[in-house]
Amino acid sequence: MIRILHVGKTFRGRDGSAVEALRDVSLDVAEGEFVAIVGASGCGKSTLLRLVAGLVPASTGEVALHGEAVTGPREDTAMVFQAPTLLPWADVLRNVTFPLRLMHRAGPGTEDRARALLATAGLAGFEGKLPSELSGGMQQRVAICRALLQEPRVLLMDEPFGALDALTREEMSLELLRLWSARRMAVLFVTHSIPEAVLLADRVVVVSPRPGRVADVVEVSLPRPRSFDQEGSDEFQRCARRIRAHIFGERRAVA
Amino acid sequence: MIGTFVLWEAACWGFGIREFVLPAPSAIWTATVSVWPTVLNHTLSTLTTVLLGFVASVVVSLPLAMLIAASPVISAAVYPLLVVTQSIPKVALAPILLVALGANELPRVIVTFLVAFFPLVVATVAGLLATPPELIELGRACRAGRVQELLRIRLPFAVPFVFGGLKVAAALSVVGAVVAEFVGADAGLGYLIQTSMAFFRSPLAFGAVVILALLGILLFQAVSLAERVFFPWSSGAQSGAPPVA
Repeated sequence: MIRILHVGKTFRGRDGSAVEALRDVSLDVAEGEFVAIVGASGCGKSTLLRLVAGLVPASTGEVALHGEAVTGPREDTAMVFQAPTLLPWADVLRNVTFPLRLMHRAGPGTEDRARALLATAGLAGFEGKLPSELSGGMQQRVAICRALLQEPRVLLMDEPFGALDALTREEMSLELLRLWSARRMAVLFVTHSIPEAVLLADRVVVVSPRPGRVADVVEVSLPRPRSFDQEGSDEFQRCARRIRAHIFGERRAVA
Repeated sequence: MIGTFVLWEAACWGFGIREFVLPAPSAIWTATVSVWPTVLNHTLSTLTTVLLGFVASVVVSLPLAMLIAASPVISAAVYPLLVVTQSIPKVALAPILLVALGANELPRVIVTFLVAFFPLVVATVAGLLATPPELIELGRACRAGRVQELLRIRLPFAVPFVFGGLKVAAALSVVGAVVAEFVGADAGLGYLIQTSMAFFRSPLAFGAVVILALLGILLFQAVSLAERVFFPWSSGAQSGAPPVA
């Protein structure tokens, strides 16, 4: 499905110096799999997501979707950013349909599907509101609906709940799982929250910083549907401990 | 406002200020109303120049700003020229244009346009370039081309900035029209001020100034109203900042 093979990315800094963001990253994501990417800030995990999105080209190695090399943004991938990035001039409904309209994929049924999707995300009745009239959590919900309406086979999420408060965050995680289990696309979910990663993902990829490399891949064998009750389970604790050991072990080794 | 007029009226009477130095509001009112058909004609003439110049500045500025924002090369080529047009005093330019283009409406509209268009271009370019990188990235992720990005993302985002420029341009086009009329016109409020002062008819000249001020306010309010009606999201968030969670 998603194949990331020996991918490296080097940015040229403003002063001409080279900054290596990723080195020799390889990762395979299966159809319908939920993979979380965890790492300290600045470890290149967002860069990895942008490579898969086709927003930046890889310096070395190859990213492929369904066996086709990614050369630019594709119609079957959708992205959710850390900020909701809604169009301030468009109401909720037009925001959700914006990508499809931009790609000339909007049809007669698009609006109805958008309304139905908004309703499942608890946003019924807000279709005509402007983004500035919504709370942060609701705005991010709109952004997720906007991505899901594209019916992507790959959903890329770059710390989508990073700007939300802790309570909204937990609520949104479960809601995301609910929306995802009804559709089952492949998800790459970047986060710096270890519990969030374990709760959501089938596999957690731990990225070590400078340059970003895959330090470990942790299989989470918790049964679905997931809930916060599982946080006390042995499996949850095992996964979280292992991820934490990598992230903080790495930091200790550097210090 | 009313207090100022009362004080003004009282000062004129109390200190015995002579009418051609500073006419009292009541004198201005009588002088203006007594010849109101003439004043109305002059007002309409000025209003025509103002509106034509304003519309011309909008029609030219928006595409020009988009070109400047779209390409650094065009920006580097065009901006110095724009600054040159702004550095030349329009009072100096007006007689030259008048000789070149003849004593008709055209040179007056051009002078008005030259006074009004620059802030509109600058404001619009600022808005187009101020579009947050996240929105641009969203566009790219949705496979938007450069033209789509400009028209569907940057231009709507720039709307509050454009209206900021429009408000300045509205006020300035009144100034531009009067500058042009001072130099060469046989009608208009600028012309009325000049001819009145030539005969020391200060009250009428003051009346014309008041009407000019009213024109400016009216035009400014019209622009604000258009913004509120057609772009309600814009007038609410003057900063144009996107809502961040």
